[in-house]
Amino acid sequence: MTLRFSNRPFHVCLVAFTFFTHGGTGKTASQAEIFTDVTEQAGITWHHFSGESPDRFLIETMGGGVGFLDFDGDGLQDIFFVNGGETPRGKSPNPVRNALYRNLGNGKFEDVAAKAGVDRIGFYGMGVAVADYDNDGFPDLFITGFPESALFHNNGNGTFTNVTDRAGVKNAGKWAASAAWFDYDRDGLLDLVVTNYVQFSFDNPKKCAVNDVPTYCEQEAYLGMPLSLYHNNGNGTFTDVSRQAGFDKLVGRALGVVAIDVNDDRLPDLFIARDASPNLLLINKGNGRFEDIALDAEVAYDAGGLAKAGMGVDAGDLNGDGFPDFVVTNFNDQYHSLFFGSPSLPYEDRTVASHLAEYSKSFVGWGTHFIDYDNDGNLDLVIANGHINQVVETTRNDVKYKEPPLLLRNNGKGILQNMREHAGPAFNTGYSARGLAVGDFDNDGGIDIVLTCLNGKPILLRNNMGQSNSWVGFQLQGTKSNRDAVGARLTIALPNRKLVRWITGGSSYLSSHDKRVIVGLGEGPQRAAVNVEIRWPSGTVQRVSNLRTNQYNKISEPIKHSPAAHNK
Amino acid sequence: MRLHFNSCKVAILIATLLPLFVSNVGHGSDQRRDAEIHADKGLRLAQAGNLPEAEIELRIAVQVVPDDAGFLSNLGTILAMERKLEDSTGVFERALRVDPKDVTTRRYLAANLWQLHRYPEAKRNLEIILNQAPNDKESRLLLGMVSENMKDYPTAIRMLGSVPAQVRERPESIAALARSYYHLGQRKNAQRSLEELLTHPSGARGILLGAQVADEMKDYDTAEKLITAITSQSTDQATVGYELALVQYHAKRFAESQRTLLSLISSGYKSSQAFNLLGWCYHEENQPADAARAMQEAIDLDPTQQSNYLDLEKILLASGSLPSALGAAKRASDRFPDSPLAFLMRGSIELKMSQFTDAVVSYTRALRLDPANPDASLGLAEAQSNAGLDKEAVAGFEAAIRKFPQDPRFRLQYALMLLKLAESGNLSAETRAERLLKSAVALTPPLPEVHYQLGDLAQKKNRTTEALAEFRHAAKLDPQSAKVHFALGRIYRRLGRNAEAAREMDFYQRLKESESKAAMPPSGTGASQN
Repeated sequence: MTLRFSNRPFHVCLVAFTFFTHGGTGKTASQAEIFTDVTEQAGITWHHFSGESPDRFLIETMGGGVGFLDFDGDGLQDIFFVNGGETPRGKSPNPVRNALYRNLGNGKFEDVAAKAGVDRIGFYGMGVAVADYDNDGFPDLFITGFPESALFHNNGNGTFTNVTDRAGVKNAGKWAASAAWFDYDRDGLLDLVVTNYVQFSFDNPKKCAVNDVPTYCEQEAYLGMPLSLYHNNGNGTFTDVSRQAGFDKLVGRALGVVAIDVNDDRLPDLFIARDASPNLLLINKGNGRFEDIALDAEVAYDAGGLAKAGMGVDAGDLNGDGFPDFVVTNFNDQYHSLFFGSPSLPYEDRTVASHLAEYSKSFVGWGTHFIDYDNDGNLDLVIANGHINQVVETTRNDVKYKEPPLLLRNNGKGILQNMREHAGPAFNTGYSARGLAVGDFDNDGGIDIVLTCLNGKPILLRNNMGQSNSWVGFQLQGTKSNRDAVGARLTIALPNRKLVRWITGGSSYLSSHDKRVIVGLGEGPQRAAVNVEIRWPSGTVQRVSNLRTNQYNKISEPIKHSPAAHNK
Repeated sequence: MRLHFNSCKVAILIATLLPLFVSNVGHGSDQRRDAEIHADKGLRLAQAGNLPEAEIELRIAVQVVPDDAGFLSNLGTILAMERKLEDSTGVFERALRVDPKDVTTRRYLAANLWQLHRYPEAKRNLEIILNQAPNDKESRLLLGMVSENMKDYPTAIRMLGSVPAQVRERPESIAALARSYYHLGQRKNAQRSLEELLTHPSGARGILLGAQVADEMKDYDTAEKLITAITSQSTDQATVGYELALVQYHAKRFAESQRTLLSLISSGYKSSQAFNLLGWCYHEENQPADAARAMQEAIDLDPTQQSNYLDLEKILLASGSLPSALGAAKRASDRFPDSPLAFLMRGSIELKMSQFTDAVVSYTRALRLDPANPDASLGLAEAQSNAGLDKEAVAGFEAAIRKFPQDPRFRLQYALMLLKLAESGNLSAETRAERLLKSAVALTPPLPEVHYQLGDLAQKKNRTTEALAEFRHAAKLDPQSAKVHFALGRIYRRLGRNAEAAREMDFYQRLKESESKAAMPPSGTGASQN
């Protein structure tokens, strides 16, 4: 296996090579399990703190986020964890700190958050959105929270600077949940959309109980908030354009967001998952305004007019028709939702037909992502679950407080199969999971997963199946487009099928993913070279042929429009 | 507080019975003489008020001479005076078998039957009398009362109208005549009748009875007029004040009713029922905290009155205070451990709060206390289904459908459970659910949800015309259902009928907003997510 992006001396590569062929620590992954929990091996010891208290503030049960990023440009995905915070009666014996785990390349990680200057924030932390907003080649961090959020600029030397005030993205007074970077006006600069959840204060706790045991109140006890949209001015500052975009009128309890071009007009749109408020499908009109077509698309409510408890969301082509499909995680008894997108409305609700209803009936879902865990070319689905009320098991027999994550295999036509028996022990263990991010931390072509757990340690799951089939990896670099190529669409034409993938903004819940794209090619471990058509966010279409498989390919956007450009 | 007819019925009976006691004397043989001695002794004891011993003596007389209609009649009379109406009835029937032409005994029998609410039999006996003696005024009076009870208002008016002097003697008869007039739309005649109570010797008691009739028949002005007439003269200010407040409440003059009650209470006339009514006044005036406080006062003043607890629960539920309603329900079920109603209410609140396992316990208890109660059966199966006890729920629904085959609710709830199972992978469940829903359509009362679910099933199978028809039917049955309007909006949108779709979505949004406002708990409290 060749490491293409490491700047390290050869002997390190050799060690790394040895590690990957011999399992590193001497332990070999079980051939039967798809994912292995390597948290302990990796040296990840960080612990989430929610500020849980007798007051049962809703915020205590809603965090925390996680992001994959290569903050130091060494070709290895690092991991950033957002911590919660203290509440009036929920104090921590130790300072509540975020963690930035630097990938050391040998399956181990080291927390460098303090050195990097991102360990402390002055507010209750929720999620993270990672992107290179100033196109300087280093990913930056936008951390959401209550009652403000913060932007940390990556200085390129292993440190970050808090530039929130100068940037004008404090989002003051709001409880921000997920955020997404996307270039809505296609000026080559990533703009920022923030989902704001509910009107909230630590001053007047709402009281709810089950049989006199304090519990968290229903979300409907809280009033919703409008979305925030910040336009990137290109000079390190942003302008709040929420009102101009019409976002100030979109009041609801927003939690999840994914940015993707749903109608193929080259403009990125937004799917907003909202909690007991109708979901939004915001079509970018190209003039700074958005139009909500969720009702017409029949994704706003369920068939009975119920606004489900939408928390996390992702988009991807599940059924291979070239159009984005959507998954939204919801509360128990509501089922997580699956919608097949199409050029005509309404979208098709495939929740029951896909078996997602069957698998998710008893679960409360949060972070989610479409991943091709076995690189067979079909996007599968992973979901983090966990209830919010500790006493739920006293009220019914079929729902638990701690719930296992779901790994669902797609047959290529959107029919899902629960892989619980083969997925690994982590998928048969109950957690209070919340955030979920995906990334290839060991650069082996197998998408790995990291989950955060409320008041617990995160779980890093190494994918053991990525090399079962051929794959091709992409690391795109925009020039006229934003450097991260958020909004790019890749089409890989194979003899018997066409695979379409997007680099989306946002997605999941409170989390941020490895920006590289891995496309599984199926048909065994050896595959001939493939061709790809890349539609860059700027509109440039680039075709690259003879890409080598089973490795990452770094492709830059051509400066001039050149259909046959090949940057290898 | 309402006056019951029972004591009045006895008064009528006694008034008609007294002459009997002097009729049975002087017949032949030793045995007969012996029986007569006992009978005479019995009559004297009865006149002296010693009914138990009088009964013994008459029983001996009857035992000695079993076929003497006179002895039997007298025994029947004494039993009636002792309120042993069933026994008395049996004895009168025996007497009539001996002497079918005895009008008096037959009249007494009819009076018994009337008191036992066996109206058709009472009527039959009175008609026999009137065939023999058409001018028997007491029988006409009694037949008028019986006819009113049987809702045969024309006959009631004819009979009671034919004996005005007898009717005027008793406020109950006046009330019955007035009620009959009201039912036939003869409001002025009814009011004229009731006005006679203003000068009736029965005084406040009669006037209050008349006011209750007017109130019951929604003639609030007459009711209030009658009550106001005795406000200053009555010695029972508590009752008069309460009755006035009740009339004002029924007339939806809640603020006035509230003032009347508060004035009554501040004058020292505190009663559980006054606070109960005050609680309802506050509820109607949208003052939930005061309503709950007043209802709690009612409970404190009379902890034995279950209805106060249930009313408190209803008020708390209506104001969205689910946890408080549950607290009240728990106190009620603790206080009334043998009351199925207390456990039914508790179970329904627990269901609303998604505390399903607790609801299973409550409904199980309700069903044990009242195995024939369909609400308990239904609630239990629903709770089991929601608690994930699918096998138990299925068994419960199946058994309940066999036990209550004409109640459509069981088929509906069972179908809803099966539809959920179908969504979770049980493919045959949907077919069974559809069959259940279709069988529920033929039953009464018609349930809008049945049609909604049939519409939903049809829509899933692209049977659009059928779906639209079912949704429309559901909307006709329940125009206030947000989700039905949502379904109609969706189907119209798919059919390209955008104006209709927009109209339905507009209904949906407005209804949803009202539902949300109604469900919004008082600030600082709420329900939890389970």
